Amino acid sequence: MVVFAAVIFLLASFQMTTKALTVAAGESLSYAPEILIQKMKAGRQESIPVNYMEKLTGIFGIRSITPRVWGYYFHEISGANFTILGLDPSAMPLGDQLSRAIDSGNSPGTHETVVGEGARSALAGSGSSLFSLFRPDLTLKSFTIVGTFKPETDLLTYDSLFMPLGDARDLFALSDDMVTDLCVTVANPKEVSTIAKKIASLLPDTRVVTREQVQKTYQAVFGWRSGFASICLLTALTSFIIFAWDKASGLTPEEKKEISVLKIVGWQTSDILTLRFWEAVIVSLVAFLVGYTLAYVHVAFFDATLFRPIMLGWSVLHPALRLIPSVDLSEFILVLCLTVVPYLAATVIPAWRSAIIRADSALN
Amino acid sequence: MFLNPWSVALCLLSLAALFLVGIAGRTALSVLRYWDPASDGPRQIRLENETWLSSTLVQYALGFQILSLVLFTSAADNFSQVISGAMCATGALTANPFGLPALYLKLVGAFFYGFWIVLHYLDISSERYPLLKTKYIFLVCLLPLLIVDAITQTLYIANLKPDIITSCCAVVFGEGGGSDGNLLGIVPQDKVLIAFYCLAALLATCGHFLFRKLMMPLLLVNGVLWLCFIGLSFVAITTVFSSYVYAMPYHHCPFCILKPEYGYIGFLMYGTMLPAGFFGIASALVCLIPGRLGLDNVIGRFQKSAVLLSSIMLMLFVTIVSYHYVIYRFLGGER
Repeated sequence: MVVFAAVIFLLASFQMTTKALTVAAGESLSYAPEILIQKMKAGRQESIPVNYMEKLTGIFGIRSITPRVWGYYFHEISGANFTILGLDPSAMPLGDQLSRAIDSGNSPGTHETVVGEGARSALAGSGSSLFSLFRPDLTLKSFTIVGTFKPETDLLTYDSLFMPLGDARDLFALSDDMVTDLCVTVANPKEVSTIAKKIASLLPDTRVVTREQVQKTYQAVFGWRSGFASICLLTALTSFIIFAWDKASGLTPEEKKEISVLKIVGWQTSDILTLRFWEAVIVSLVAFLVGYTLAYVHVAFFDATLFRPIMLGWSVLHPALRLIPSVDLSEFILVLCLTVVPYLAATVIPAWRSAIIRADSALN
Repeated sequence: MFLNPWSVALCLLSLAALFLVGIAGRTALSVLRYWDPASDGPRQIRLENETWLSSTLVQYALGFQILSLVLFTSAADNFSQVISGAMCATGALTANPFGLPALYLKLVGAFFYGFWIVLHYLDISSERYPLLKTKYIFLVCLLPLLIVDAITQTLYIANLKPDIITSCCAVVFGEGGGSDGNLLGIVPQDKVLIAFYCLAALLATCGHFLFRKLMMPLLLVNGVLWLCFIGLSFVAITTVFSSYVYAMPYHHCPFCILKPEYGYIGFLMYGTMLPAGFFGIASALVCLIPGRLGLDNVIGRFQKSAVLLSSIMLMLFVTIVSYHYVIYRFLGGER
């Protein structure tokens, strides 16, 4: 039963981690712009001119278009890739709500930045709030940390540096009329796909990504990884099932005697089968409850330490986000089907073999 | 889309059910071939023992099939988060031509396994096992159904492509006529409601008379009515009752009611309607067993309990589906 509980623990932990991460990604993305426009050239993304915004003014339903600089900065000292996000908070419809994502400090002004928790510890380990980054020509650009993001947004902001648009352009040596992408917010969520189609036809050299697509991609990736992990864990489950089958098949002389005595006192084959069925149900349910509870503790209190690297990817700075496992009936049934069903299927035939022992067999 | 825990679990359940019914089917074939009640040789004793195994296996398979039905709808709901355009199980199930057939096969399968178990219990209540051959022929026929079920489900999962755009329930079950994906067409709500409550009342009346005195013609009529009622209930839940659960007049969906945000009320609805229908139909089907087999008393007892059970479940079902409707229509809505 301990082995069974361990297998259930592994599977349930994976499932809960996936679910918690999907929920976390969904929540973090709920403030993301509805549509992103990126310019493509030769199949690769390149900078988009800011004047592309003017071509979209005729589309009815767009609430605002915000130019954004979004890039990665490799920090040699910590060996981490930072996500640099440069935009003008006042230009976004929810820009005034940015302070809700900032744990302490203010929105950044010129030469100022708001950083994620991971980036802060990598950059300002000495306790200073001043640091410098290299421009492409290796000249230094200095920044002051004026705030950090809230831990709830860690999945997206853990390795991020948020700064004004001008500073980000300066850091990446982008010219003043260029940005990396345009964020479009739409007044009516039902119009997103129609507006996305219109943008795609007006700007044929761009890639138009909707928030829904990003969200589904997250879910697909987490689902794929967790499916892959489930298949790996199935090998553990299979070996356990073989073990259970083997154990249930080999009856000890005491067990044989017990069944013979039961038959002598009037038990039928069907009674013994029923008894065996309830025995298997109790064993698997106890193991299931123990395994599931342990998995809950593992995810809720230890932040799924065992599996987080697999689920979150290969970045050096892993977000230390708090996972909130949700106990959902359908997830419960899923883990039950993955573990208890094979166990029951594997023990039914050995149970029958033991039930058909003749009443006189132990007396010989 | 096999690399997803839901797909893995569905495949595992299908394999487990196939394995169990496969072994039961092997027993069925040897029983059909060698069964000889007059003999007391080792082969006959072995076969007698194996009949216990096969019945246990089919009972397990029934349990797995019911679980698989629940898992399949939950899985479809989960797939919808990945498939473009899908917002609930409806979108995921209509994403390719195998989704809905797989669901129907699972539903029909659960009913057939149930009928087999009823047959088995009637059979073992007599020492002469009068229904032995019938039930094993039936068992051999169940095997292809299970294989078709597993194949359809595999084809469904294999053909699920996250990048194919499908329709959400608002389009599939919506009232906007002319949408090419509408599964139910334009169904007038009042007529569905009148038919639903009239049929439910008729079934309750039939149940009342049958419980007092079992009459074969009425039992058969009752069975046919139950079959119609199951179909009508699906239509009524989809077109009328579900939108009162969601508190949204244009949201008609038979799957969203299974979600936690609606308190899993869908499980209560289907969990009473399907067993009620099963017992209603089963009480009629056992009438077809020839009377000379000496099972009259047992069959009568079974029919009485089945009629009683189906009537109780019917009342529960009607109460549960009407709850939100009555609250919104007559009590001024939820506070």
